[in-house]
Formats: sequence, C-alpha cells, structure tokens
Amino acid sequence: MSEEYPGYSKDAIEVLKKVGAEIWSIVEIKTQSATYKGILLPRYQLSEPGFIEIKLESGYNIGIKLTKDIDIKVVGKREGKYQIPEKSFPTNKKLPNIKLFGTGGTVASRLDYTTGAVIPAFTPGELFSAVPELADICNLDTEIVFEILSENMRPSYWQQLATKIEKEANSGIDGIVIGHGTDTMGFTSAALSFMLKDLSVPVVIVGSQRSSDRPSSDSALNLINATTVAANSDLAEVVVCMLGSSSHKYGLIHRGTLVRKMHSSVRHTFRTIGDIPLGKVENGKIKMLKREYRKRNKSKTKAITDFEEKVGLVYSYPGITNDIIDFYVDEKYKGIVIAGTGLGHTPTYIYDSIKRATDEGIVLLMVTQCLNGFVGMNVYSTGRELLELGVIAGKNMLPEVAYVKLGWVLGQTQNPEEVKNLLLTNVAGEFLEREIPIAFNYNAEEL
Amino acid sequence: MKDYDYKKLGLKVGIEIHQQLDTKTKLFCRCPSELRGNKPPDFTLIRYMRPVLGEMGLYDEAMLTEYEKGMTIVYEGYKDTICTYEMDETPPFECNYEGIDIALTIASLLKMTIFNELHVSRKNYLDGSVPCGFQRTTVVATDGEIELESGKKIGIEFICLEEDAARKIETDNKTNYFRLDRLGIPLVEITTKPDINTPQEARDCAERIGLLLWGTGKVKTILGSIRQDLNVSIAKGSRIEIKGVQKLDWFIPLINNEVSRQLKLVEITEKLKERGIKPETLEEKVIDLSKDLKNTKCGFVNKGIKSGKKLLGINFPGFNGLFGLELQPNRRFGTEVANKVNIISGLKGLIHSDEDLNKYGFSNEEVEAMKKKLNSTSDDCFVLVLGKEENARKAMNIIFKRTEMAFNGVLGETRRALEDGNTEFLRELHGGARLYPDTDSKAIIITNDRINDIQKELPEFPWIVMKQYSKKYKIEERLVKDLIFEGKLKLFEKSLEVYNNPSLILTTLLETTKALSRDGVNADEIIDTQYIELFNSLKSNEISKEIIEDVLSELAKSPKITLKQVKKQLKITKLSEADLIKIVEEVVNKGTDLIKEKKMNAFGGLMGDVMKQVRGGIDGKIVAEKLREAIKNKMEELKL
Repeated sequence: MSEEYPGYSKDAIEVLKKVGAEIWSIVEIKTQSATYKGILLPRYQLSEPGFIEIKLESGYNIGIKLTKDIDIKVVGKREGKYQIPEKSFPTNKKLPNIKLFGTGGTVASRLDYTTGAVIPAFTPGELFSAVPELADICNLDTEIVFEILSENMRPSYWQQLATKIEKEANSGIDGIVIGHGTDTMGFTSAALSFMLKDLSVPVVIVGSQRSSDRPSSDSALNLINATTVAANSDLAEVVVCMLGSSSHKYGLIHRGTLVRKMHSSVRHTFRTIGDIPLGKVENGKIKMLKREYRKRNKSKTKAITDFEEKVGLVYSYPGITNDIIDFYVDEKYKGIVIAGTGLGHTPTYIYDSIKRATDEGIVLLMVTQCLNGFVGMNVYSTGRELLELGVIAGKNMLPEVAYVKLGWVLGQTQNPEEVKNLLLTNVAGEFLEREIPIAFNYNAEEL
Repeated sequence: MKDYDYKKLGLKVGIEIHQQLDTKTKLFCRCPSELRGNKPPDFTLIRYMRPVLGEMGLYDEAMLTEYEKGMTIVYEGYKDTICTYEMDETPPFECNYEGIDIALTIASLLKMTIFNELHVSRKNYLDGSVPCGFQRTTVVATDGEIELESGKKIGIEFICLEEDAARKIETDNKTNYFRLDRLGIPLVEITTKPDINTPQEARDCAERIGLLLWGTGKVKTILGSIRQDLNVSIAKGSRIEIKGVQKLDWFIPLINNEVSRQLKLVEITEKLKERGIKPETLEEKVIDLSKDLKNTKCGFVNKGIKSGKKLLGINFPGFNGLFGLELQPNRRFGTEVANKVNIISGLKGLIHSDEDLNKYGFSNEEVEAMKKKLNSTSDDCFVLVLGKEENARKAMNIIFKRTEMAFNGVLGETRRALEDGNTEFLRELHGGARLYPDTDSKAIIITNDRINDIQKELPEFPWIVMKQYSKKYKIEERLVKDLIFEGKLKLFEKSLEVYNNPSLILTTLLETTKALSRDGVNADEIIDTQYIELFNSLKSNEISKEIIEDVLSELAKSPKITLKQVKKQLKITKLSEADLIKIVEEVVNKGTDLIKEKKMNAFGGLMGDVMKQVRGGIDGKIVAEKLREAIKNKMEELKL
C-alpha cells in the first residue's frame, strides 16, 4: 500500500509517477473515446486494481481503466482546505457545566466536498457551530481521550476513561457525556458502571447510528438528549442515552449494566434488557420511568479500575467440542463466561473440559444466550450437573456484561471465595430483583 | 405568444430528463418498484433534517434556506412494500443489476462513452424528499448525442443512474408529508448540452429523447414516470433552472416566458443605469409605519396592526415604475420579489407603490403620510409588508437583497414551472458542492464484455420502428408513436397475433381507452392479458365491437376480473341469427305504432331497443341489417 498513492495498484502508480501526477493534482485524461478533467483522488483500500479515480467538475467521481493508449496530463493542483469555524462556545453561569469526552467516531462532522472526506468536529466551538442548541443546555468543555473505532476498544481504554471521570466528578463538574461508537457501547457502559464506585454525577454515553455527515443523522438529537440528561437529571449512574424510536422523537435512558445493541443499523437499536429503561428524554424534558436508581450526591467518586484481561466469552452451540474450553485452559485464562442455551446449559459432552477448567481454578460463569430471563440451573439435570462441576450461575446478566464483570472481579481478587461472593453481589444494578411482566417486550412508545 | 429572434438573443437551452426504469425491484433494496396510489399508509415516521457543514466550515446557502423553514417531515410507509432501507435504517444493498443494464442500454443508444468504474455519490437534499438527506446517484456515461428529426445533433452531457425521491403528499403548515413507495425506484437522469437554440427545438429534443426511452420497452410508462427540467439562458442573462416541467406542451411557453423575464430584468438594470441610480443609492432603512396607520381604512392592515402585527416600509429611490414592470404575463417585478419573500419567510404578499394603493383601501392622505415618513418621491417606489415583527423584518431583508440585485440583471436560480407557463422562485442554485462519495457502497465495475453484450442486443431506434410498423400494418406513423408513448407497442403486437385487425386494435388501445379516461374510468388498470382475452372473444364473435367500451370499463375495476365474469355481469351471451330475429320481431311488433308514424325513420329508436337486449352478443352490423329487413317487412304488412 502506497502512502503517496493510497489505494492505487502498482501499474497505476507507475503511470501516475511518470507524468508527475500526485493525489489532488488536476489532471486531464484522454482515452480512446473521450477526455476527462478532474481532481485525482485517493482510492479506498482494496479497490479494484488498474483504475485511476478522479472527481469531475460536476462533482461526480469516476474510475477510468488504465490502458496503454491512455494519456494523462497534469494541469494544476487543488488541495482540500479546512477552515475551522471561529465561533466560541458561549458560557452562561446559570447553566450546568458539562464535560464531553471523545473516544473516536464523529458526534458532529464537516464534509470536504473536494475530497469527499468527513472531518470530525469536536472542539466546543466546532460543536457549537454544528449543534448550537447545546449552548441552551449547558456550558461545555471537551476533551479527546482517544480516537479509535469502537470495535477496537480495549479494557485499558475503559480504565483510562474511568480515571478521567473520577477526576472530573471530584472537581465539581455537573455531568459527563462520552461520545462513543455504538458497536461496543454496551461493554463500555458496563465496564464504567463496575469501575466507578460512589459516583456523584450522571455519566451519559452517547453515539449515533447514522453518521453526522448526513442530514438525517441522529447524532445531533442524541447529543442534545444526552447533554440534557447529564446536565439536568438527578441520576448518578452510568447510562446510555440514544433514540428510542425510528422517529426523531425521544431518547431513552438505559442503565449501563442492562443495555444492549439489538440491531445492526436502526436508530433505536439500544434496548434495556430484562427491565424497562430508566427514563425518557424528549424536547428537553426528562421523565423517569423507574423509581430505583442512584441519585446525585456529594460523595467522592472512586475509580476502581483493575481488570483481568485473561477472561474469555464462549457461546455454547450444538456440536461444540471440548477443545474450545481446553484452549482457554491451555492459554492460562483465569475465567470464562459461558453463554449457555436456555436456562444455562451446555451439551453434556463437554463436561470433561468444564471439569478440567474448574479443577485448575478457572472461574466459569454461566449466563443465558437468550439474553432475556434468568439462568435456572436447578431445573434440569444438566444445570444441576454443571453447578456440581463448579460453574457459577450468573442470574440475568447479559453475556457481555458478565464478561466485563468477571474481568473486573478477577482484577480485584483471585481468591475463589471472594471471587464468587463478588460475582454474586449486585455491584451496579446488573442483577434484577424481579422481572416485571412487560420487561420482555415493552413498547417504548407506551412507556 | 410572442416570438423572439432567438439567434440574436443568444438563447441556450439544456434539458434534463428523469425517467423511471421498469425494474422489478428498487435500486438499492429489493422492495418492489411499485407505487401504491391512494392506499392509506400503514405507518408513519417523524424526522428532522439538519444541514451539514461544508468544507469551509460553512453551510450551503440553499441547504440553510431549507433548514430555516423549520419543517417537520413525516414519512408514510406500507408494511409489505417498504423496508428499513427506505426508512434510512439499513445500509444500501447491492446496486440493482437490471437497472444498470437498462442505463447502459440507454447510454449506448445515445452513443455515449461508458465508464468502467462507477462510483455512487450522495447528493444532499434537505427538503425531506429523501429520508437519508441525500440521493444516491452515479454517473454512468458521458459525451453522447441525439439526432433530431431536423438532422441537428444535440450533445448529451451525462447519464446518471439514481434513486427516485419519495412522493410528496401534502404540506400542512410546517409539516411535509412524503410517501415512501416512490423512493428508490431506479431513475436515469439524462442531461443535454446547452446546444438547443429555440423553444421548438427544446420541445423536439425532449420528445425525441422521450421516444427513445419509451421505445426501449424497459422504462416505466405510467403518468409521472418521466419528468423534465430546463436550463434556459440568453446572452445577457444567466442560467435559470426550471424544475418540474410536466408536459411537453409546457416547453414553448415556459421558455418564451423565461426569455421575456430575462429581457425585462436586463431592461430594469438598463433603466436604473439611465436614471443614474447606483447600488450605493439604496439603503436598507426599514421604517415602522404601524403607529401612523393604526386607524387606516385598509381593512386587513387595520386588523393586522390591531392584532399586534407591524406594517414596515422601505423606499427604493429611482425605482418608480420598476416594481410594476411586467416580466411575464401577469407577473411583475413586484411579484417576483414577493414570491421570493413568501418561499423563504412564509410571509404572504407585499404592497408596492407602483400599484393602485386606493384599491387596497388606503386613502390619499394615508399614502401621502407614508411617502413623507419614508422620504419617498414620485421618482421612487416604496414597498410595504405586514407581519409579526421578526418575520416582517426578515421579509424586508429579503426584499432589500433581491431589489439590490436588480442592478445585476438576471440571478442564476432554480425556479418552479407553473401550469400557466410562468415560473416562480424555488431555491438558490445548488452547486456541484453538494456531491460527495457514498461511503456505504463500493465501486461498480463495468467490464467491456458486459458493455459489448448489451450493445449486441440494442433495440431499434423508435423512429425506425415507426416507419417499419407503418409500412407493415398500413397505419400512420403518428399512431405508432402514440403506441410507444402509451407504452402499448408490445401489447399491439401481441394482440395482432390473436386477432389480425390492426385498425380495431389501434382504436381500442388508443381511442377507446382515452374516451374511458374522460369518463373517469381508470383504463391504465387494465392489464395486457385482459386485452388479449377481449381480442380473442372479438375474433370468435363471442362479443361484438359495440360493447368494447362497456367491457373495458368493467375490466378496469380490477386486474383480477376475467372476461367471463364481465360477460356475466353485462349479461352478454353469444346470439345465433335465429335468436336475433326473434328479438327483432318482438321489438318491431311492439313498435308498430312508431313505424306507422315514422316509417323507416323509426329505425334509430328501435335499434336502441334491440341493442339493449342483444347486449353485444352479436355484431351490430348484422343487427342493423336484420332490423332494417324486419321494419321493411312490417311496413309491407301494414301496407305503408
């Protein structure tokens, strides 16, 4: 992959170099049948080899096949110019102070029509240009913590975030918003829920399902809703706040340990599983739907961030073999979450590996791949046998939440008794006392 | 209609033609490419669009204008024919192969150069017509031509393959309603070069391209499946885009009226120069006249001021007579300014001093008082608006800006075609600056093999088809053209296979259906197999041609209705001659008195009675013959 000619194949680069054409050069290309003038563009990685890509004056991009009789002439150069708007975010002493942490992804962005690139907007001034409504809600300060795609998230990033939040919360901020890619948002919300002890202010994680470079994006509304919750709610929990319907109407507030991305693309992809959402936010108004939640307080927030990374997450399926579990044992893992079938089962034909794992002191935590409901390991003989083999029943925990919790618990202690106790303690609302009847298929419209 | 010396004026016209393609499914999802008419929607969605910052960290003017309208958008959809893609909830699926092939066919017929790698771009639209806020579009080929009947060749700039937008149902206050069924139907956009130099040539060119498209048999041929836009300029004017030209008949008046508009705007600029008025002379000095006119005799102003609205005025020195200058039939410069104010601020109407102010109810004293306060002389023109203060001030700003531009002649802008041949301001011209790559789809490779395969099987040019058919079936070329434009050429051929009667088939397909439509019957609902069944029955004399119209009118009720059901419904049974004679005799016997009175002239009345009973069960010619015979016999019997 060439840095000078991204996405171009070897033969194309040769031809371009020979005529002195660089990316962003204005070129005139003569083929057998026509002549084109446009700006030479970088190509995506893994593009078809043997093509040259230009942006025509009409704004359209085209690919021209490289042939022997093609004639390329450089006639100028046009580089994308990015001018950041010089607006500053207004301050109003009457409004709460909010800190927005960026982790990558674009909550707001600008388009570069010359290159087609999307440029993130993140400084308070830029955000004010893109979403001026924010200035009516709060005073905003921003900080980019890291810039990654959310699929590239790592436990060490959760630790960094938790530490930053601890500092902000203890220095008098009124609320925290975290801009986050949606893919692993549920993992991060769970991790921060476990790591932030005695939280004093709301920590609201937000993202968008339609990127901010399109007019129909949900990002501005999500950002407005999340900021409203961070500024004005009486919560002191880690929550996810995203649209609750396909319409641009209201946002839902989900507890960080009960939330899951349930659709690959729709706007209202996030759902609280096992319960109804904590609340709803619409047109600047917050309506709490649950009575039991941690309230804003004056306590000192502590980030307890130790995390054991040698934890695996295994999905049980018909045909699974002992090798799968054996692999984790061989690789010296400290714990495995098993997303079992139904009430918390695996096939009996992998008992050998399960026994070996627990014999070697590896913590096995069982949750259900049904996502909804509790594991019930005393109902059938398989469940009882698995308990007998030393598997711990993880109640109603979502597999991802169980994974994060197990890593965090093993980060605190490796003493088997303590591990088991802590695993079965309701640390951050991850366990449900009871499952209310509408939890399974609540309709957010009717809440 | 006034004719101009177009050559002297340097008239240049370019056409954009949008044509829906007849594919089974949509361009980027596999929903059926099907409009649902008036069927009530199953669900609705509410959305808001926001402008996107452009490369300089600024918003596109046209997009901002749209955003400032503060519109709520409601999308209406159907459970069975709309998917999450149209709702902007799922990324695009593979680009429809069938659609690409049709675009390649059309590009080849237009002798264009086809690109080997197509890139899907996004074209921003903030009016809500596309739920994601942009239309996915890809340029397929460039540099073609079409030869007009006159022999002149018009260059074709581009052909793009794109998604059709959602169907606008209504605007209710600040809400736009769009139906999602039309969204995503594949469309080609063909752009000609500005090689066209007269209105007639523009019409000819549009018709020629339309004929070429419909002649492929691969495009949708229902009402609204083809839409045209025009680009018009004269040497001293600017390029004006006219959107939504629905009929070919609109071309000539629209272009002539645009020529008139541009000439008059240039005339205004020249007059200002003659009068020695310079842009610096204008001052955006808006004066509140509400207090001075709170007791005015002008009813709506009086009422407005009492309800808290403001009457604002501004004076334009040296503009006397210019606001009243007619640009297009019944549209003055004042109308032009008012129209722009209305589109952007929503404020309806303005009053200017080139109008008869007494007509509004203002007294002469009031007019004088206003003139005094605005410092307006008889050389000037002053303008008034009435509205809530913020809105009225915004309107004044638009009025000032637009009037200031009078020094620059014609402003490049996008206008909407009106049925009377005039146009009105729609929005600022969109630049190429709203196209950016669609990051959700990958480039489409068009191999030379694929192009060759398509070019091997290109359909014949329709004007050649017209000649061939005309010769083969001894029918006028004009009728073959009508068949193509009705989308019935294939049906015509199929019908001839079952019933070799070209003239009757032509009459049925072209004229009878038109007559039915005039009577409010939706003849477009009749499907090909129903026609074929009808022609089969005509051939075997099971029904007579007299009843075709009645039969079609029944068939139009549902594509599921069979001819058998219609026959039952209309009580058509095949009659033998003996049956007929019996009916005729009965009628003649009953009509003895009439025959006594009118003799042979009783035929008309009696024929009606017979036909009522025959109900298309036997050929009308035979009926007439038998009836005549029977009347004659009766007359002989009565010794008349």
